[in-house]
Amino acid sequence: MKLKSFWVALLLGLVLVLSACSGGDSDDESAESNGEKITIFQTKVEISEQMEELAEIYEEETGVEVEVWGTTGDDYFQQLQTRLNSNQGPSILSLQDYKKAENIKSYLHDLSGEEFIDNIAPNMAVEIDGEVVGIPYGVEGFGLVYNKDLVSEEDIQDYDSFVNTLERLSNEGVDPLTLSSEAYFLIGHMSNYPFSLQEDHFEYIDQLSEGEVTMTETPEFQEFGKFLEAIREYSPNPMDYTYDEQMGDFATGKTAMVHQGNWAMGMLADYDYDFEVGMMPFPLAGNDKLAVGVGANWAVNGTKDEAEIEAAVDFLEWLHTSETGQRFVVEEFGFVPAMTNIEANDLDVLSDIVLEYSNSGETIPWAQNYYPASVVTNDFMPAAQDFFLDENISGEDFIQLFDEAWQNAVK
Amino acid sequence: MSRLHNRLWYLVFTVPLIMIFTIVVLIPFLIGIFYSFFEWDGIAANPMIYVGFDHYIELLSDGRFLNSAWLTVKFTFFSVILVNILGLGFALLVTTALKSSNFARTMFFMPNLIGGLILGYIWQFIFSDVLKMLGEATGYDQIFFNWLLDKDFAMYALVIVFAWQMAGYMMIIYIAGIQSIPNDVIEAAKIDGASYWQRLKNIMFPLLMPSFTISMFLTLSFGFKIYDTNLSLTNGGPVNQTELFAMHIYNEIFGYGNYGYGQAKAIIFFIVVAAITLTQVYLTKKREVEM
Repeated sequence: MKLKSFWVALLLGLVLVLSACSGGDSDDESAESNGEKITIFQTKVEISEQMEELAEIYEEETGVEVEVWGTTGDDYFQQLQTRLNSNQGPSILSLQDYKKAENIKSYLHDLSGEEFIDNIAPNMAVEIDGEVVGIPYGVEGFGLVYNKDLVSEEDIQDYDSFVNTLERLSNEGVDPLTLSSEAYFLIGHMSNYPFSLQEDHFEYIDQLSEGEVTMTETPEFQEFGKFLEAIREYSPNPMDYTYDEQMGDFATGKTAMVHQGNWAMGMLADYDYDFEVGMMPFPLAGNDKLAVGVGANWAVNGTKDEAEIEAAVDFLEWLHTSETGQRFVVEEFGFVPAMTNIEANDLDVLSDIVLEYSNSGETIPWAQNYYPASVVTNDFMPAAQDFFLDENISGEDFIQLFDEAWQNAVK
Repeated sequence: MSRLHNRLWYLVFTVPLIMIFTIVVLIPFLIGIFYSFFEWDGIAANPMIYVGFDHYIELLSDGRFLNSAWLTVKFTFFSVILVNILGLGFALLVTTALKSSNFARTMFFMPNLIGGLILGYIWQFIFSDVLKMLGEATGYDQIFFNWLLDKDFAMYALVIVFAWQMAGYMMIIYIAGIQSIPNDVIEAAKIDGASYWQRLKNIMFPLLMPSFTISMFLTLSFGFKIYDTNLSLTNGGPVNQTELFAMHIYNEIFGYGNYGYGQAKAIIFFIVVAAITLTQVYLTKKREVEM
């Protein structure tokens, strides 16, 4: 009797263990699905629901099943890396920064031959070794988002007028310009300007990494240090601000300008603000071009079997050429399209400005996509925190810290 | 027959656990040691270059690593002291004939039921908003300011939050210890005229040594391994002054993509933590007394 219950227990245990093991295999089956099913794992949390909806429509139209995996945003690349390593990668994935894209190069399918690729706006595709591997989600732009009642674009043209305006606003009792404490908003985006204003920022970044030039000796960086000093002098400490508080103060008219991008409209729209909003280029070294770039790109996993790769490419083609797909890109996802064949009507104010600058070519690129991996959060951020917390650190010292941060990241 | 039986039952209950432990702890640990000898970015398709003990040598001159190690030691030191003083204090308080002692026990233990991540966010609000408001209202802005933005105070903020979370847990262990002390011993001491402090020092503490061993061990190892509260409260800032060990390793591996180097750090981390906690257990065990 006793022995019997022992065997029952053993059997139960075995069943438990076995069923736990088989749970993990379900993702793997798609690898041999002959293109009847594709999986998507992408980085933008805010379009997850719309993706699911799109997937259903696509399945109805073509019969190809599209499975959208949930994403958590920030640790996207780690998750992707884990899945690729265990051969359970998705058929369609997102690429963000260039250095990381290079790391997983061997997984990426070469899209160069596809016809719809030709529609990508100039210089916006991700190319590695001459192969097009990434299709931009859309373009985004950032600059000084301002309240038209308090500031006008003519006020801010270069360093002197910038400082004068800050002083004037500060005397009027408004916070002239706020940054917020998140790594990208505090320093990540700002740090683009001195890089992007170099004649060839790819080359400059390479030279910097090789130690052939330093930021300390580059005029744009010297001026950047002075700009930051002015911001620290006239603005509230950015370390005290979160993105929410920053936008809240802006919407209620307490702040005249914030350094943000067109994505901020989503947050701003929640408020009942009663002024006109504009966006202008950051006037470093007299710059009058908006920083426009691509936040994320679609890519196809080239390690899947032929049929699945083809199905994945078909999906991306459909997304960017069919009427439904295009409507989703613009209206549902809210992207400023980076494809010349997609019409964008009814964009919000800030996105409209981005599109305008982008179409007229009055843009500077996002150098940040070519930074060493994680340099913004791991190295720039501590330097920037140091600068904003300690009045004794001059703009010049800060650029020196920046040099050190860069060297630390590339070593 | 019955012997065999017992053995079989013993196996039924231990084998699954041993299997799980082997699969999720032992094997990854061994693989981790293996990886630490390679220069690798963690992506299977990319080459792994054998570098031998280079990573371990490099570690010794890595300023950020050493700084993080020192911060972790500092954090753990303060935490162990604060958590155990508070835990023991609470335990002594709620084992007296206090009317509300059951309620107090629940309240003291409650913070431990909140996850470290959420706790970090709650305290972030307290440190950055409530403290600042207090400072403005009372004028004592030397003490009441945003601690999280100060290079030195951010660490103490972390210690406070950790103590708040762990003290209740340690309290439970101390309560169990206190309750297992026979009443007659205490009573005998009372009759002999021992004051409260004398009873505490000469009778309670020696008999509580096993609880000290466990509590110290737990706080030491939890303190060294802290990650969640660290992430949500300060995220290593400001200026990396609260980037503790676990976070440092995570940043090395997933931030910079230095998988092998990060693994080497993790192995060193393991050895250090194991050495310190084992020493502590050995030392406190020696002081435990038999009744």
